[in-house]
Amino acid sequence: MTRDRASQVWTSATQCMVGVIGVAALTFVCLRLQVEFATAGFAYLILIAVLSLIGSFVGSVILSAAAALCLVYFFTRPAFDFTVDLPQDLLALAAFLTTSIIVGGLTARLRAGVEASRTSQDALRRSEEEWKEVFEHNPVMYFMVDAAGTVLSVNAFGAAQLGYTVGELVGQSVVGVFLEEDRALVRANLAVCTATPGHAHAWEIRKIRKNGTVLWVRENAKAVRRAEDQLIVLIACEDITERKRTEDALRESEAYLAEAQRLSRTGSFGWRVATGELIWSEETFRIFGYDRTTKPSRDLVVQRTHPDERTAFEQFLAHMAREPADWDQERRLLMPDGSIKQVRVVARAVRDAQDNLEFVGAIMDVTASRRAEEQLILAREELAHVARVTTVGELTAAIAHEINQPLTGLVTSGHAAQRWMAAEPPNFDAARRAIERMINDGTRAAEVISRIRAMVRKAPPRRDALDINDTVTEVITLIRREVQRNDITLHAELADDLPQVPGDRIQLQQVVLNLIVNAIDALKGVTRSQRELTVASAADAPGGVRVTVRDSGSGFDGRSADRLFDAFYTTKPEGMGMGLAISRTIIEAHGGKLWASPNEPKGAIFAFRLPIDAAHAVLADPVPADPAS
Amino acid sequence: MSEEPPVVFVIDDDASVREAVADLVRSVGLRVEAFGSPQEFLHSERPDGPGCIVLDVRLPGPSGLEFQRTLTKSDIHLPIIFISGHGDIAMSVKAMKSGAIEFLTKPLPEQELLDAIHTGIERDRARRKDAAVVADLRERFATLTPREREVLALVITGRRNKQIAAQANLSEMTVKIHRSQIMRKMRAKSLVDLVRMADALGVSAEGA
Repeated sequence: MTRDRASQVWTSATQCMVGVIGVAALTFVCLRLQVEFATAGFAYLILIAVLSLIGSFVGSVILSAAAALCLVYFFTRPAFDFTVDLPQDLLALAAFLTTSIIVGGLTARLRAGVEASRTSQDALRRSEEEWKEVFEHNPVMYFMVDAAGTVLSVNAFGAAQLGYTVGELVGQSVVGVFLEEDRALVRANLAVCTATPGHAHAWEIRKIRKNGTVLWVRENAKAVRRAEDQLIVLIACEDITERKRTEDALRESEAYLAEAQRLSRTGSFGWRVATGELIWSEETFRIFGYDRTTKPSRDLVVQRTHPDERTAFEQFLAHMAREPADWDQERRLLMPDGSIKQVRVVARAVRDAQDNLEFVGAIMDVTASRRAEEQLILAREELAHVARVTTVGELTAAIAHEINQPLTGLVTSGHAAQRWMAAEPPNFDAARRAIERMINDGTRAAEVISRIRAMVRKAPPRRDALDINDTVTEVITLIRREVQRNDITLHAELADDLPQVPGDRIQLQQVVLNLIVNAIDALKGVTRSQRELTVASAADAPGGVRVTVRDSGSGFDGRSADRLFDAFYTTKPEGMGMGLAISRTIIEAHGGKLWASPNEPKGAIFAFRLPIDAAHAVLADPVPADPAS
Repeated sequence: MSEEPPVVFVIDDDASVREAVADLVRSVGLRVEAFGSPQEFLHSERPDGPGCIVLDVRLPGPSGLEFQRTLTKSDIHLPIIFISGHGDIAMSVKAMKSGAIEFLTKPLPEQELLDAIHTGIERDRARRKDAAVVADLRERFATLTPREREVLALVITGRRNKQIAAQANLSEMTVKIHRSQIMRKMRAKSLVDLVRMADALGVSAEGA
């Protein structure tokens, strides 16, 4: 702007200087030629008009004034004086001044118009060149195609990117630079563009170079209407091959991760505490059993949490939001189909760039492995249980078999004897042999019984100092599964600081086991909600320890209380009637006592007392030596 | 009909039970052979007469049920009465399914045991008789010529001589001769008799 002003001043000064010289020269020539006032005036006018072409309006005005002064001084009467005598000269002077100013003004305006037009043309040309530059060398491929897809123009960069020259592409169909299988899509896209002129469309597609290599591009296209009402489509496309490759690599690595998550049943998640926003991986959705399209939320997590743990879990989350810490815990989920999932959740508290709290973690579905562990534990328990119970069971089965065989022989021989004697004539020899066998069988059965009693009664091989609570607890562990399976509530009321008792742990455990198994059998007869079983231990003065097994089962008839401990006495359809008899024998062999009493309001109590030393042994009725009694 | 007297085989590892059962059976006038194990039984010379086996299910070695299968394989078709110290339902069902005629638990109910033994002997006797009849028929059948067997297969379908002749590509006269030969060799009294024999032999009406 200041430059413009300065150049304007400079032109005006030049104009004035040249003008003044011109006016002086003209004045000199006119005086020599002795021309008159009017001729000189026209000569000045021509000079001013010519000079106004190179100068400004101000310069023209100054020159006009100078010329007017020369006219007054040299060419009006009196000459060489600034006075004017004749009034018509004054009029002519005024006409000269007006004309010269008008001519100056008009010339200046004309010149300004010409100047302006020249400048704008220059600017237009320059901008066109600039745009051409942009068009040709911008790292974007530009195509201009007609509605049929024929290339009208393409920029040099675009052609070069595809390995062609501009000339090779113009006039050809644009579909030629696309893969065979994409061409239908290209035509469809062109059709969409031409159907909606003025609207921009974008898509990603592959293009094929002259040398056959493929590149991914993102195309932006728009149909515009040309003057001749012809539709053309402008397409700008950028090479996104690199981006695609990165995307593919990312997708692939995501796919690997998803696969790994699926295989390991481990999902990942993020929790932005401030916004409550949750981010889940695919596997996390699967573990929670939600569709991928659902928006993860804390509510969804709570909804799946097992009802028993819901409150605790919500409190935990609230606590974590207040006092963030890393966590690692196991939770149970209740799925809509009623199944239970065991999950392990590991999370780490982190701060993002804005210092916002965020938890990043993994959720593992450990249902299968937990189940396997549980089954392993159960199997182990069951094995231990079977081993223990078979000791009792085998004993009773063996006893049954041992006694049943001679009894069978005895009965059958009896029948045979009867028949021999009833025969015609009676065969007494045969009958006698049969009776001999009967006597042998009877003796054999009695021997079996006395052998068993002796076996159980004989001094226990071990008299260890036992903690009766440990002994009882082990049995409870063994029998736990039966207890649970039968919906029995088991209470263990074990007294602290009990003195140790001398005894055989295995034998005493068999007694406790036998009492508990009896209680369970008795409880099977009552409704599930009323199945209560209490195993208690207590000090029993003087110098003893008492173990009580109390059930709320069917109980026993008061009159049969005496017979409970008899061998072969049983109320169970499958029972041998040996359990209590053996149990009593074992306890008595320990110097203790085993007894039964009815429970209130119903059920039975079985209890035994063990002395802590021989001095406190119960003097039980001596066990009859004769097995038959 | 002269026949070996029936024999009852008692197999039990318990000598006392074995002896008692054997004696009881003997007391009702039956022949008894007692064995301490299935092997002993299998290796023994057995008389060729009707009989049955009284077997303890729980024997040392292969179980009673397994022994039963071994017998079937060895073509010994004696009916079996199982006895057991404490038989459960599953075991008795299994035994009955595989052809046992009775399953009794110890101590043994005398009358049931004896009834079962008699049933077993009767069943074996009937089976043996059937087997003898079939053996006899088989002998007669063996005397037929191939052509006669062919005609027999057609005769038992109830076809007329004319039809048989057409099918076997023979003259009606030849068919008549074959037919009378068949009736004679098989000792059949009537066509119905012949059909029954063919049925017992398992001759099917081939080509019908």
